[in-house]
Amino acid sequence: MLFWLQHKWSGLWLLIFAFGSLTLFLYGFFPLKYHSGKLAHMDDLPNFIDGVSIDGHEVYNSGENSVILMVIDGLRYDFAAEEYMPYTGQLIKNKSACIYVSVAEPPTVTMPRIKSPERKKEKAQWRRTINFWRDIFAMMTGSVSTFADVALNFGAPAVKGDSILRVASSRGRHSVLYGDDTWLRLFPGLWTESDGTTSFFVTDYTEVDNNVTRHLDSVLTPLEDKKPKFDFLVLHYLGLDHIGHLEGARSPKIKPKLIEMDSIVKKIHTAMQTWDRSGVLIICGDHGMRDAGGHGGASPAEVLVPLVVLKSTDFQCPHELGPGPVVAQVDIAPTISWLLNAPIPGDSTGKFLPSLLPSDIRQHLYLLHVNALHNVKQGVPTDTEYYKQFKRAETQFARYLSTGQQSAARIAKEFYDESLAAMSKQLSEATTDFDVFALGLAVVFLYLMLTALVCVTLYSLQPENQRKISVTDKHKTNLGTVVAFAVIFAIIASTLTLTCFISETRSQFCSFGPSWSAVFLASAVALTFAYFLVKIGLEKIRDLSTLRDLNAIDFLLILGTLFHAWSFFGTSFIEEEHMTWYFFWNTLMFFVLVRTIVVIVLYFGKRLSGATEVQEKPELEHRMSDVGVGIVPKWVLLIGLHRYLRTMNQTGDRWLFLPDTADWLNAPENSIYLQAHLIIGTLATFAICLRNIRHMNNHLKIHSVLTILSTLCIFLYRISAGSIRLPNEVPKWDAEQVVQVFWWLLAAQTIFEVITYVGAFPNGNRFVYNKPKAKTEDYFYDNAEEPWNLNDVKLNLARSLTHIMYNQMMLIIVLLMRPHNVIMVPSIYITCLLTAKCLDHKLLDSRPGRNTEGADTLSLTLAHIWIGAVFYFYQGNSNSLASVDLGSGYVGLSEYSPVRVAARMGLHAYAGPALSGAHLFCSLPYTDINRYRQAVWRVTNIMALQRVYQVVIYCVIAIIFRHHLFVWSVFSPKLLYDFVATIFSVQALLTIAEIVCLTHVVSWISRCITYRRVT
Amino acid sequence: MFTLNNHLELRRVTISSLLTCIYLPSIISVISYKGILYSVGSGSSFYILVLIFIAELIKSFYLSSNNEIQSKKNKAKIRVSDILKAFGFLLGVTFCFFLGIILFGAPVLDKHEETLMLSSLLTLLSVFPLVAHTGVELAMQLLFGVKHFSKDTIIAMLVNNALLCVCGAWIGAVVIPLDWNTPWQQWPIPCYLGAIGGYLLSNVMTVLKVTMMSASHKYKFLNFFVNIINKLHVSK
Repeated sequence: MLFWLQHKWSGLWLLIFAFGSLTLFLYGFFPLKYHSGKLAHMDDLPNFIDGVSIDGHEVYNSGENSVILMVIDGLRYDFAAEEYMPYTGQLIKNKSACIYVSVAEPPTVTMPRIKSPERKKEKAQWRRTINFWRDIFAMMTGSVSTFADVALNFGAPAVKGDSILRVASSRGRHSVLYGDDTWLRLFPGLWTESDGTTSFFVTDYTEVDNNVTRHLDSVLTPLEDKKPKFDFLVLHYLGLDHIGHLEGARSPKIKPKLIEMDSIVKKIHTAMQTWDRSGVLIICGDHGMRDAGGHGGASPAEVLVPLVVLKSTDFQCPHELGPGPVVAQVDIAPTISWLLNAPIPGDSTGKFLPSLLPSDIRQHLYLLHVNALHNVKQGVPTDTEYYKQFKRAETQFARYLSTGQQSAARIAKEFYDESLAAMSKQLSEATTDFDVFALGLAVVFLYLMLTALVCVTLYSLQPENQRKISVTDKHKTNLGTVVAFAVIFAIIASTLTLTCFISETRSQFCSFGPSWSAVFLASAVALTFAYFLVKIGLEKIRDLSTLRDLNAIDFLLILGTLFHAWSFFGTSFIEEEHMTWYFFWNTLMFFVLVRTIVVIVLYFGKRLSGATEVQEKPELEHRMSDVGVGIVPKWVLLIGLHRYLRTMNQTGDRWLFLPDTADWLNAPENSIYLQAHLIIGTLATFAICLRNIRHMNNHLKIHSVLTILSTLCIFLYRISAGSIRLPNEVPKWDAEQVVQVFWWLLAAQTIFEVITYVGAFPNGNRFVYNKPKAKTEDYFYDNAEEPWNLNDVKLNLARSLTHIMYNQMMLIIVLLMRPHNVIMVPSIYITCLLTAKCLDHKLLDSRPGRNTEGADTLSLTLAHIWIGAVFYFYQGNSNSLASVDLGSGYVGLSEYSPVRVAARMGLHAYAGPALSGAHLFCSLPYTDINRYRQAVWRVTNIMALQRVYQVVIYCVIAIIFRHHLFVWSVFSPKLLYDFVATIFSVQALLTIAEIVCLTHVVSWISRCITYRRVT
Repeated sequence: MFTLNNHLELRRVTISSLLTCIYLPSIISVISYKGILYSVGSGSSFYILVLIFIAELIKSFYLSSNNEIQSKKNKAKIRVSDILKAFGFLLGVTFCFFLGIILFGAPVLDKHEETLMLSSLLTLLSVFPLVAHTGVELAMQLLFGVKHFSKDTIIAMLVNNALLCVCGAWIGAVVIPLDWNTPWQQWPIPCYLGAIGGYLLSNVMTVLKVTMMSASHKYKFLNFFVNIINKLHVSK
């Protein structure tokens, strides 16, 4: 088992297991009930009830109705009292109107935003739209929306599935909207007439409502034949909510606003009397408001909203006076659909509002039957009591139809009501419930992985001599290992099974189906693996003296990384995560600045005061010349560069609308500066690539030529894309072909490098395979039969492949980046280079021979992670799904291909972390294969540890806040981002593993070839 | 770091820290009572800087002057050129702070007035007492940690004050991005108040420590707290 702990890629395995657990977590967090998108049709109506035939269309017909849905934003239950709305209250009192307590879906927020400039308007609106979405979605489609509905629709937030508006327009009804334009975006093309208002100005609470009311007179006036001009009218009043946001629910402005609303109700009610068909007015709020004015939590004041139903003719409320029965928001959908004589929307889970059901007992029962049947079709399990109840009700209904017994009808109605209530509850729970068992299990797994990773990392950070395998360890037999593994595996598997049965969970994880059993076994194996790592690790970690070398900057790096994960307990720290990183990075730069200044001053102080001291310590002189006096001005310039880059893209949520440098550069009159940025960035990258070539086997200068050609391709692509404009016209190149050539060049470069190392060009290698190295003399055994030093081949190939990877990654990213962001690529290189220099623990340390390698690796890895994160945000990314740059996915592609687009988008979005990570692997010590291997081992472990740590903490936060008001707009997107980041971490570390693997293969091949040549 | 060796110095340190603990909170409470606390960033609040300047000057006179005969000699040596040099140095430091603050994230194109006020406050609180006490050259050496000051209680206190003051301003910046929409999240109020807070904290800690040190003769357990405070001191 010790072998596992010492294995160089255990960290990667643990990261992969952690990724699996995170997938399980996501499975539990995002309920997998997607909306079927099924469209309802009139022919779905049943024509037989338990074998008794009935004319569905004729019975279903609700007659001629015009429905008005009046949504008053923020109308909470107590506002519908007679005190605030006298006319409505009067109507409720004399039973010509009915009031219900409607329960809104908890996470509701319509957050009005301040005005943004045009370019950023879309982004700012997006978050608001999502929050709006739920209420409108519930009312219009009759089903509770899941995060998947939103996430799968991002970019174009239109409802794809069935809705009242869809069924209405398919039946040729006229729908009219006056109110917030979110409705128009959600249901585009389904309105015959509309006037959308934007609600960006929260301070405006009169104009938004007047914009709605001004149409009322014309739209309520019936045509000549006394028919109203519409069948379905939606009025959405925002003013009340705005007042609530501004001044709270106790504001003196609330009452006049409600009285204004009341007068509108009166106006509509009066107008409805003049029509020749019956009009139905439904008044409701989409959510309530807290006394303080906000809304979005799950407190009664926010969730309970009134729902008032009015009818122009012969209407008598069947309910007792009082607060009224409780209904759900989704109940509006089937009711309105029926009133419009349209089928119930496909995904609806609601019930008809009882007061609007017809008094004709046959029609009444038929509607209940249709409703129940609709729910049954959506996958209600057939072995439940309420399903049997439904069947019994159906039998009774059929009996009534054939015999006309009133008692049968009464029993049928009772049964239908009971089973409907249970069905609706079950259906809406299935959509919104988290799989808590899977969540908990995933977090436990993640914690174990984290503990194992901590052990592995600490073990790898020990000085080398502590890791010698003792003799007793070697004597352990394989059989013992297998038995130990089997025993622990059995224990863990049975514990998991027991947990499943004891908790009696409905989770899929414990369903023991074929595919889930595989998952079950895999997690048991992973747990066993982690268990042994932790156990052995705790025994073997003896000496942590490396950690004693840590200085203040290292502690800043470690504590900052640790704290960053905990900062996500605040939503604004998630939305403005870039601020946290900028702050940390600034602090680090400040520390380093102070340190470099101190070092320089110390050096000069010593030099000027006592020259002898410097002469006595040539080490000091040597190290100084390594860094140079220029480090301070260079560092100050670097700070300046970062200050500039930070202004490049405004990101986050709160200051997204502020104009930034990218806006300025993208303005047409500044295009010359934009081109300058692009050209400087590309040329600087090109220079860096040429500089890196010295680490490769530049046989016949082929690498230089290939790099020049690929840079040329980039320029050609930019010219053909129009980002660089030349003074005189040049023939246009096909962008797609240019990019194609670019890919071939990169592929050729890699293949060429591998071939040179195989030994295909005997005279052109930097390493002459048949020349023995001087080192071999030291070996006590005779290795003359191996005339080349294999480790050298491996080491050099690893170095050159890593540099090729870095070069190519830079070139690809330059190709993908937006023109103004190209400058980031060389900036990352410069930052990494300077930081690595300044973080060196031996910087001006006069004690020679101190081994600070462990501390160096730790601080460098963390610093590179920080650099990656900082540039990730410089580039304009954020934790909102709206900042995903879709355009970069289509560079050099003419058609959609999911894998390629996703790969490009991913590399573009994670350019910062990818480049800084690649630079880290390039700057590892390539002096000795063992040192190199150890450094790779440590870096892999630390990177995996950081990623898993962040994921673990965030998963716990997500569980704690799963009912939080921002769970959709803030927490869930961040979870998705973390998921993607984990995928890319796994991918990045796998690439390094592949490189190491390739070096082994190549050294083996080269040995074979050279052997043959020698013999 | 602090020792009981030099009782006179210790008493001076305590009294000057006590003075700070009195005058800074009174300035803050007066202006917040007047309702102009949130205007500290603008140029109209220049009088606060003047008040702090005068107070610090008096404190430094107190700290360095009425020492025996030796200091009287020093006092006689103060020349106009020294004062001019000190002022030039302070201006330079202010400018460095100004540039540094902008480099580390203050608005570049606007709000120069606010940034300038913040940098002058930082200079006044952190560098000015040092310069006034030790002179320009020594202050520079102390700031970069070239010279060790472990024996001099007064300088140890001044350096601690300076460091905590800058730390306070730095930490004050944390609240600016939060979405609380309060009036005091404007630039540079959190940093400004953070600097004052840090300075005050340092002084309070000094007073506390000296009190406990003198009381620890009677109550031994207080030594524990003294050690904790000693650890808390940011020193190089």
